[in-house]
Amino acid sequence: MNRLNHLPTLKVDTTDKIAFIYKGKKYYGAKGDTVASALFANGVRIFGRSLKYHRPRGLYSLDGECSNTCMEVDGIPNVRCENTLLKQGMVIKEQNVKGSAENDMMGFLDKMDWAMPAGFYYNVMHKPAMIWPLAMKQIRKAAGLGKISPDYEMPGKFDEVFLNTDVCVIGGGPAGMMAALCAAEKGLRVILMESRPWLGGFFEYRSGVYKDRQTLHDRALHLANEVKAQDNIRLFTHTSAVGTYNNNLITGFQIGKKEDVFDERYIEIRANSVVVAAGCIERPLIFDNNERPGVMQIGCALRMAKTYGQLPGKRCVFSIGHDLGLEAAIELHDLGLSIACIADIREDGQDTVLLKKIADKKIPLLKGWVATKAHGRKIVKKVSISSIDGQISKTFSCDLIVASAGMTPVTGHITVALGTLKYDNHTGFFLPDQMPEKMYAAGRIFGLNDPISIEASGMLAGLKAAHDCERGSTGSLGEIREAEKVMTGLPGPVRGTKLVTAPVKGRKSFICFDEDATIKNIKQAIEKGFDVPELIKRFTATGLGPGQGGIPGHNLPLYVARYQGLPDVSIRPTNVRPPLVPTLISTYAGVNHKMFKTTPMDEMQKKDGGVFRNIGVWQRARYFSDDFSCKKEIENVRNNVGMLDGSTLGKFRLHGPDAVKALERVFVSDMSKLKQGRIKYSAMCNDDGCVIDDGVVVKQGENDYYFTTSTGRAGQTVEWIRYHTRYDGWNFAMVNLTDSLGVINLSGPNARKVLEKIVDIDLSNEAFGFSEYKEFMIADTIPIRAMRLGFVGELSYELHVPASFMKSVWIMLKEAGKEFKIQNFGVEAQNVLRMEKCHIILGQESEQRTNLLDVGLGFLWDRNKAEAKTVGSVALRQAEGDKTRFKLVGFKTENNSRAPRDGALIVDDKVRGYVCTARDSFSLNEAVGMALVEAELSQIGTRLEIYEDECGDDRIYGKVVAMPFYDPEGKRMKM
Amino acid sequence: MFLKNKPMWGKKTKLKSSYDVVIIGGGLHSLATAYYLAKEHGVTDIAIIEKNYIGFGGAGRNTAIVRANQRTQHNVPLYKEALDLWPVLTKELDYNLMFNNCGNLNLMHSEAAMKAARMTIATAQFHGVESHLIDAKEAKELVPALNISEDITFPIHGAMFHPPGGVVRHDAVVWGLAKGAAKKGVEIHQQTEALDIGTKNGRISSVTTSRGVINTNQVLISAGGYSAALIYDMMGIKLPISVLTIQAMVTQPLKPVLDHVVSSGAYHCYANQTLKGEIATGAHMDPWPNYTTLNTAHYIKHQAEALSEFLPCLRGVRFMRIWGGLADMTPDMAPIMDGNEQIEGFFMDCGWGYFGFKSCSAVGKYMAQFMATDQCPDMLKPFALKRYEEHKLMGETAALVNYSPDN
Repeated sequence: MNRLNHLPTLKVDTTDKIAFIYKGKKYYGAKGDTVASALFANGVRIFGRSLKYHRPRGLYSLDGECSNTCMEVDGIPNVRCENTLLKQGMVIKEQNVKGSAENDMMGFLDKMDWAMPAGFYYNVMHKPAMIWPLAMKQIRKAAGLGKISPDYEMPGKFDEVFLNTDVCVIGGGPAGMMAALCAAEKGLRVILMESRPWLGGFFEYRSGVYKDRQTLHDRALHLANEVKAQDNIRLFTHTSAVGTYNNNLITGFQIGKKEDVFDERYIEIRANSVVVAAGCIERPLIFDNNERPGVMQIGCALRMAKTYGQLPGKRCVFSIGHDLGLEAAIELHDLGLSIACIADIREDGQDTVLLKKIADKKIPLLKGWVATKAHGRKIVKKVSISSIDGQISKTFSCDLIVASAGMTPVTGHITVALGTLKYDNHTGFFLPDQMPEKMYAAGRIFGLNDPISIEASGMLAGLKAAHDCERGSTGSLGEIREAEKVMTGLPGPVRGTKLVTAPVKGRKSFICFDEDATIKNIKQAIEKGFDVPELIKRFTATGLGPGQGGIPGHNLPLYVARYQGLPDVSIRPTNVRPPLVPTLISTYAGVNHKMFKTTPMDEMQKKDGGVFRNIGVWQRARYFSDDFSCKKEIENVRNNVGMLDGSTLGKFRLHGPDAVKALERVFVSDMSKLKQGRIKYSAMCNDDGCVIDDGVVVKQGENDYYFTTSTGRAGQTVEWIRYHTRYDGWNFAMVNLTDSLGVINLSGPNARKVLEKIVDIDLSNEAFGFSEYKEFMIADTIPIRAMRLGFVGELSYELHVPASFMKSVWIMLKEAGKEFKIQNFGVEAQNVLRMEKCHIILGQESEQRTNLLDVGLGFLWDRNKAEAKTVGSVALRQAEGDKTRFKLVGFKTENNSRAPRDGALIVDDKVRGYVCTARDSFSLNEAVGMALVEAELSQIGTRLEIYEDECGDDRIYGKVVAMPFYDPEGKRMKM
Repeated sequence: MFLKNKPMWGKKTKLKSSYDVVIIGGGLHSLATAYYLAKEHGVTDIAIIEKNYIGFGGAGRNTAIVRANQRTQHNVPLYKEALDLWPVLTKELDYNLMFNNCGNLNLMHSEAAMKAARMTIATAQFHGVESHLIDAKEAKELVPALNISEDITFPIHGAMFHPPGGVVRHDAVVWGLAKGAAKKGVEIHQQTEALDIGTKNGRISSVTTSRGVINTNQVLISAGGYSAALIYDMMGIKLPISVLTIQAMVTQPLKPVLDHVVSSGAYHCYANQTLKGEIATGAHMDPWPNYTTLNTAHYIKHQAEALSEFLPCLRGVRFMRIWGGLADMTPDMAPIMDGNEQIEGFFMDCGWGYFGFKSCSAVGKYMAQFMATDQCPDMLKPFALKRYEEHKLMGETAALVNYSPDN
């Protein structure tokens, strides 16, 4: 195709050819082409087939309002070719066709519409019931547009940026540019987002006069240059704003240029104030076959010529309701398009200058006329038009119908941010009513059409947005009043057409292209009782397709109101939801971050063969070999000495005159008698008495305490204590030391011998006994807090070490332990070791309803604390003596049978409890475990019937035994 | 299909001055209760009072997943019955509810999660509900798009596969039940707001609406996320419910690629493909109580990050719509169903969190029985409000849940 050359508005460079593959064959487009404009230049008119009826679909719009030009590009489904730039080597395929878009074997469905009224699938296909699964399979196959393979790997680079600005302007047309310039002149930081690859919006492709002898196109260039010259305007072209959230958080995505390091980039902007100048799209004209290839919107037809250098047809009929249609007819006529007729919906009110030009050029114009039917089986061959009342009609042969009922403001950015709209009878628009805080609309959104008015409105919005950022200064208030005054002297919003549909029955008049919903379907829905647009949307799927409300958004509420004979005031717009432009999941994902915390020992443990797992917010070494039963690790701790990295424990300092009170509020124990140097094990409950945390408390000094929490609770502890003391006015302070201190657990009968080698203090049992706490230095340099604990049931030292010294101490211990063959042990070995000792882990031996008494920790609870009001104590008092509660018991299996799996049930004719942890114990040579069972079953000697998943009729039996299983007197940890 | 279209839930009628039963809320639980009251108990003089339109709230905002793999024996039978009712209701209502019995695959990302799943699975199997623990490879065979490599944030250890579950077309259930109830004489009053409940001599006497006062002896509030506020406003009963906005979204439609519902606790994300071909995905609740139903920038991004990891082919797919609804969460993630307890003739059915859709059919049946007989059916007894006063939470979740610092 020969393209129009030498137009100043062209965005294509026909001398620079770009090769691409379409349906397996090589074609060429020009640099600057979109995929759709390149295909159009190569004679493609049918781009795909529609969802339901497989009707042929062609180029209708250029800004992605519908899915007509959705194709598969480089394996990515549902790409809107009309605004996707062509790249060298792109592979383009048709979607949703059997055969080709040209000859689709499913095309017969278009004749079956009588069998598929709105919501027909709810009324058929379930009788008899057995046909439904088969029918469903067919529905699934028929539904959906594009295809993606399960092993598809998305190529490309995706970036993300998070920005902060004073004013964010959405829309780089004349109003948006004016707003940005105004705000920028105040010295503010401005971000301007424009979804097309260039600035200029409504002016950019037009040759009409702006003022004096300057064309609109020149004016757009001039403004764009001014914007680019402003250092404090950060310009994002080819960037769609897709979401507006609370407090002016704006999200969007940018398409990368060739030289950019990303293909797409997620953008999140926190703006002080926002200007929405997103302009208008066109309101589709509804008539029979109104989506036949060859029917185009005004902007599409005009920009195909002015931007891409292609005449969109040879002989054309216009059916329009807006001056832009007249202007386009004149321009396209001058470029060589033969115009058979212009049918203008409006009886009057056209721009007189345009009317004169049309008369001068002898283009036939019929006022009060509208297209009623596009003819032609696959592409437009003829069109029928009629007077609006349908009384007189004419037919013209043509290959192009430029059709548009009027304009529709793009208000999604406002409504998504909770702004409201109101139907306006003059413009026929849903106009902004209540704007979100610090958000201003500008330009054509209000129905303005006059270039000067559009700019003035941008200026006003820019001043208002800037004023919001000037922190109380009233400097620009005067300017705002001035700008408002200017606005009142300029042409206001233009009158819009009210026509919703041509005088047709509507069987083939599509209100929503993507979902193949016709006017007839809407009527059917209303008759069935779906009387509000939101329900009709759901029932007919109107506006729920890939283009969302782009096509039906404005027409649906208008039509529904008209059909029901409702007054204007009751017309409400349908909901618009983000993302305002469909956005790739890979773009949203941006750069995927790994968010886990690692301990200071991470690397060294990995070197030692640690198998790591995510545990809460941490990554921890769970095993140190492939043997997940951890036999060697366990035996080493029982018989020798091992080291565990316990750095993930929550660690806190709590100090101040009211420290004891605060501790007693959340911990169930009496803390007042805690002696310096001694360790107190205690637990925390919630208001239901359910045990939520356990740990140890030590007294470091007067009114100065150090305590630990479980790994999982560390993040919430400070807030928990603050919350539960919020009304008391107590004087205490907390420091979360979790990340600044590491923990090494040195355990096993040889632990003392190892530790002795690196410390100077007396470690004998008399000098540093069980349940005692000591602070000392290693090598006069490293401050250590050491605790004699026995979680795993052996002689143990828990060393709390500054994180920065963790590696050093770890290495020292390893060196010192060499002669004993000291080994690492991981979280799973610890789990078994402590289970043999019946030391509980919360979350494992408890669930959300398990209270302190249930797990046998009632002895920790001091009910006589003076100022207590201990969290959970009311509930605990209630629970005392309640025989219906679960109890934690120990059990051994009968007849040497293996341990049941964790989570197995304790049953009789119903579920009576479940197994918390059970293992074949290497230390005891039998299978032992702990279970939560109903109190009735908790007596020693009770036989437990254990039901495992997939066990069928087989059961494992166990017997309740005394706890702990290992070293019941606790000699080993006290030695 | 060739017949002339008739209004599915009757012509708009005037509000009468008295009804036997008034149900506040036009969602699924209300419609189902009304339907069963009329069908099984002959109580047809019922007014459903809906402020917006039927299915406006959670009924139209959920992601339509149904399953019966709850954790405890109090819950499993109820959900099992609900699951069994979909084909029955399809037939009874003569309305295709489009039950896609595709099965649910719940991914596990740690040994601890596998253990938790085992208990849930054992409970299901013990109650005759099919559910299995499978390993990562088996999961991949079911869902070829799954990424089972070790190189993701939460590597997949295995999954709970629950074949009887699936997806039901949520809107169809609303319309079908409305149709069924209306056919039996139930009146559905949309665009009508309930303003107050009157009592006399210790029992319910009336409901004041925006269209007039109704005399009645029985009121049910089952207004989804708005129930707790309504019950407090009208009855002064403070419920242990936190209301949070929960979001969900869909991608553009695709040819079949996901044959099962896939969910992941660690990624906080579930995904299933609707019959229309969209990937419906969601799960996130705001971390603070609110009634806004607003979307957040953070969440759609989070969801994209999650999906890119465990279903990486979806990186080439576009999100097209996100929306929010309300989840009314109780501290034990089990609902509150009660009646004649706080005041004679007053019933409530709320606190469903995000389980309201999958339970609606069975709950309607039992709430109807409760209201018609004034006797609480055994099935509903564990869900009485009293359990919170007695600090006896249900064990529906393994871990503690937190919506606010005081839980």
